[in-house]
Amino acid sequence: MSLFRDVASGFRSLFRREQVYRELDEELGAYLEMAVAEKMKQGMSREEARRSVRLEHGSPEVTKEFVRSADWEFWVETWWQDLRFATRTLRKSPGFTVVAVLTLALGIGANSSIFSVVNAVLLRPLPYANAGQLVLVSEAKPEAGISGVGMSYPTFTELQDDHRLFSASAGLAGHALVLTGYGEPSEVSTVVVTPQFFSVLAADPLLGRVFVPEDGRRGAAPVVVLSETLWRHRFGADPGIVGRSIALDMRSYTVIGVMPTGFHTPFLNQTSQVWIPLAQDPLFSVWMTRPPQEHWMAVIARVRPSISSAQIGTELDTIAAWLAKEFPAEKGWVLRTEPLQRTITGDVKLPLLLLLGAVGLVLLIACANVANLLLSRATSRSKEIALRIALGAGKRRIARQLLTECALLGVLGALIGTLVAYWGVATLVPLLPSSLPKYHSIRVDGWVLVFALLLSLGTSLVFGLAPVLFAAGSDPHKELGEGARAGESAGPRRARNCLAIGEIALAMVLLTGAGLLMRSFAELTSVNPGFEPNHVVKAMVSLPQFQYSTPKQWGAFSEELLTRLQALPGMQDSAIAGPLPMVDCCVTLSFQIVGHPPLQAGTADTANYVPASPHYFSVMGIPLLRGRLFNESDSSSSVPVALISEALAKRYFPDQDPLGRHLSFGFPANGTVSRAIVGIVGDIHDVSLGEEPGPMLYVPFSQAPLYGGEVVVKSTLSPSAVVGAIRSVTHSMDKNLPVTDIAPLTDVLNASMAQPRFRTLLLGLFGAIALLLAGVGIFGVISYSVSRRTRELGIRMALGAPPSSVLSMILRETLALTLTGIAAGVPCAVVTARLIMHLLFNVPPYDPLTLALVSLVLIGVGALASYIPARRAARIDPLVALRYE
Amino acid sequence: MPDTPSDLVQGTLDMLILKTLALEPMHGYGISVRIEQMSKGVFRLNAGSFFLAIRRLERYGLIAGEWKPTENNRRAKYYALTPKGRKRLNDETREWGRQVAAIARILEAS
Repeated sequence: MSLFRDVASGFRSLFRREQVYRELDEELGAYLEMAVAEKMKQGMSREEARRSVRLEHGSPEVTKEFVRSADWEFWVETWWQDLRFATRTLRKSPGFTVVAVLTLALGIGANSSIFSVVNAVLLRPLPYANAGQLVLVSEAKPEAGISGVGMSYPTFTELQDDHRLFSASAGLAGHALVLTGYGEPSEVSTVVVTPQFFSVLAADPLLGRVFVPEDGRRGAAPVVVLSETLWRHRFGADPGIVGRSIALDMRSYTVIGVMPTGFHTPFLNQTSQVWIPLAQDPLFSVWMTRPPQEHWMAVIARVRPSISSAQIGTELDTIAAWLAKEFPAEKGWVLRTEPLQRTITGDVKLPLLLLLGAVGLVLLIACANVANLLLSRATSRSKEIALRIALGAGKRRIARQLLTECALLGVLGALIGTLVAYWGVATLVPLLPSSLPKYHSIRVDGWVLVFALLLSLGTSLVFGLAPVLFAAGSDPHKELGEGARAGESAGPRRARNCLAIGEIALAMVLLTGAGLLMRSFAELTSVNPGFEPNHVVKAMVSLPQFQYSTPKQWGAFSEELLTRLQALPGMQDSAIAGPLPMVDCCVTLSFQIVGHPPLQAGTADTANYVPASPHYFSVMGIPLLRGRLFNESDSSSSVPVALISEALAKRYFPDQDPLGRHLSFGFPANGTVSRAIVGIVGDIHDVSLGEEPGPMLYVPFSQAPLYGGEVVVKSTLSPSAVVGAIRSVTHSMDKNLPVTDIAPLTDVLNASMAQPRFRTLLLGLFGAIALLLAGVGIFGVISYSVSRRTRELGIRMALGAPPSSVLSMILRETLALTLTGIAAGVPCAVVTARLIMHLLFNVPPYDPLTLALVSLVLIGVGALASYIPARRAARIDPLVALRYE
Repeated sequence: MPDTPSDLVQGTLDMLILKTLALEPMHGYGISVRIEQMSKGVFRLNAGSFFLAIRRLERYGLIAGEWKPTENNRRAKYYALTPKGRKRLNDETREWGRQVAAIARILEAS
């Protein structure tokens, strides 16, 4: 057949529809007329002949429709008809349309917003070429229970030289250097990398070049690559930046390139940063020559495409075995790889999927609501539909018409939902915990739009199905017959009740999840951190290491700084220490109890280590339990001392007196000294409120100074006044010193709860939406049922039922509905709660209190939602009701 | 709903119409009467299926229609075989013969 001819003739008849129809009409008319004439010739009367022809060939209208339905243009045309008809019907009932479209828009919009986050964080590959080949290589020591730590430099060089597995590999570590010479001195996030870093990630610079192997040699000229954001904000997007020198920690580096904003360093998300070769870093370069015992470097590598994961395993084992032979200290360490994508997004996968699941439930509830509305409408439209079936409309045609209406609702919902999504994403992104990986790339993109569209079509099918099924089952004889009444058949009513029950069950699941998270969050905020954050301001002061290179200088500087601060009015107390709890976690050191037999090789007792000046404990409100705190007489020349936390005392000196005992440890590891325990202080939550306080070691700052630290000041003055004081005192000592990371300690504590707060907030929001939708759903079902039963209720009242009994009857009905929904929801809620167990804190997944509260709320909402229709029912005038219809 | 032409072997209605028109141009009713007569009443055509086939054939260019007055002075659309339709008829007749012979052989063999 000729496709062209078919299409051409199709178009012709599309555009000359009138004429084509007229011709068919006339031709069919002539045909039937001739058939009648033939029959009359055989002796029938005209009437008989007509009837006989009609019986043989069916109704001419149906025949015409049938003949035309074979052509493709017929489909276009009827689809267009359906669409116009659907638009007209929806416009005729604006209330229904607005409610349905808004419900869908809410569901689709919320889903698309969360999907944008999931898409950006979990689904979209990392923004590197062939990101699937990238792995994180880490070291582990299974026998000591250590896993996923960084790599030592000698191990890395071994790996780098082995080209069988990886086409390229690079190590990286982050810290901050002081950038001076452009505006106020500031710390700039610095990524210390080995030279292949950019080639592993296959990243090209915006300007200039990236590192070459020569840049990584010791003694090479210091070079630096800037991020585009830093270049724009700090250097005014100077096009001649390449070749210029900048000062980092008072040392000159030549800028060789600028990386575009789209490039992000794995694990280190700051947009404003610099990259320098490891050999040029004042801090980490010393570890290039150490024997391989410091496991500090994150190593990323690009696996050759032909290599299988089994091959990687055996090859890495060979390298580890060789290293163990070469460096006895490395015995027991093994090398592991993990896809970079999983490393980066592993932690957030569960919370994000939880949110996606929750928002999916919201959409289901929205669908159930719209289905309910449609069912009610379908019941009131059953006459119209029965009439159309009686006039010869095919059931499939009617189903198509109804589905077109649903699809139109769905698409309208998706359009507004997309707007909701744009707004949702814009609102969501600032609320997201900044620790969320890849959150720069969260946006409503093509995939999200496709998702929204699919969602809308999928949902229209879901909510459209029930009404269509009932319409298809409609029987014109019954609907149009004498006895047709306003009472409705059991099918749709049962379906509507089921939908309402389902909504309640889903809302139950969501609310239980939200309730559990809220209770966890309440538990978390009620945890005593072990320190008192109120009225304490912290700020980071760092000393450039090229200028202040000896511990003696660091100690002298901090002492002077604290003295000057203390002299200012309004400063209650000040101290320097680092790291602070929950700010930068943590310096974990291994220690030895002097006098105890040495531990088995490969195992170690560890504790988190903090050098602190004497007033640290009073500023932070950490109580002294026994012994004494540090004081001014603990200096670099006096006896080395230490304070331990209660947890350490309990774990390692269970039934002995730790005071006077000695511990041997040091930072860095070669500075190990034996220290006398002079006191025990209270436990603090060093890592997060959700984790049990671990053992802590404190040493006097003067005995183990650092190149800068966190200054903490307790003051009754406003935080901004305190910040100004810290800044001016620091700059009075050296105007080139940066004062950064300034914050009230309460903010730090709050920030540590950003992730749980975020998910609690969102899930709470979804729970509220679910509750609202379920309420609307119950309201819809009950008020519709009341309006359909006006006659029945009227009879009851005419026979003497008091209004209060009608009211309580309706309320009882709702209660039965709600209770059934709750009964169905409880097992689902318990299963869901088990899924999110890891996100809970101090709350069991099966928490009767939460379940009971949620059930009560649902019962309350159900009663509230049905109260209005129940009142209406109680006020029915029997006379009016009996005359109804 | 009109019957689908399943009581005829699929596609044979097209061939029968072409065959009928091979003799002379005819209007729709004439074609259907002729088919009924020639089949001695075995095939009774329903207007729906019949016009479906007519429109299909016309659309593929196998037959061409023309409005003309009938013998009783009515207007009717007369269809005639196009050269393409004639060729198709020949092809299909040959193919039909081959198939019928083959089926007959199979039925006799068993």
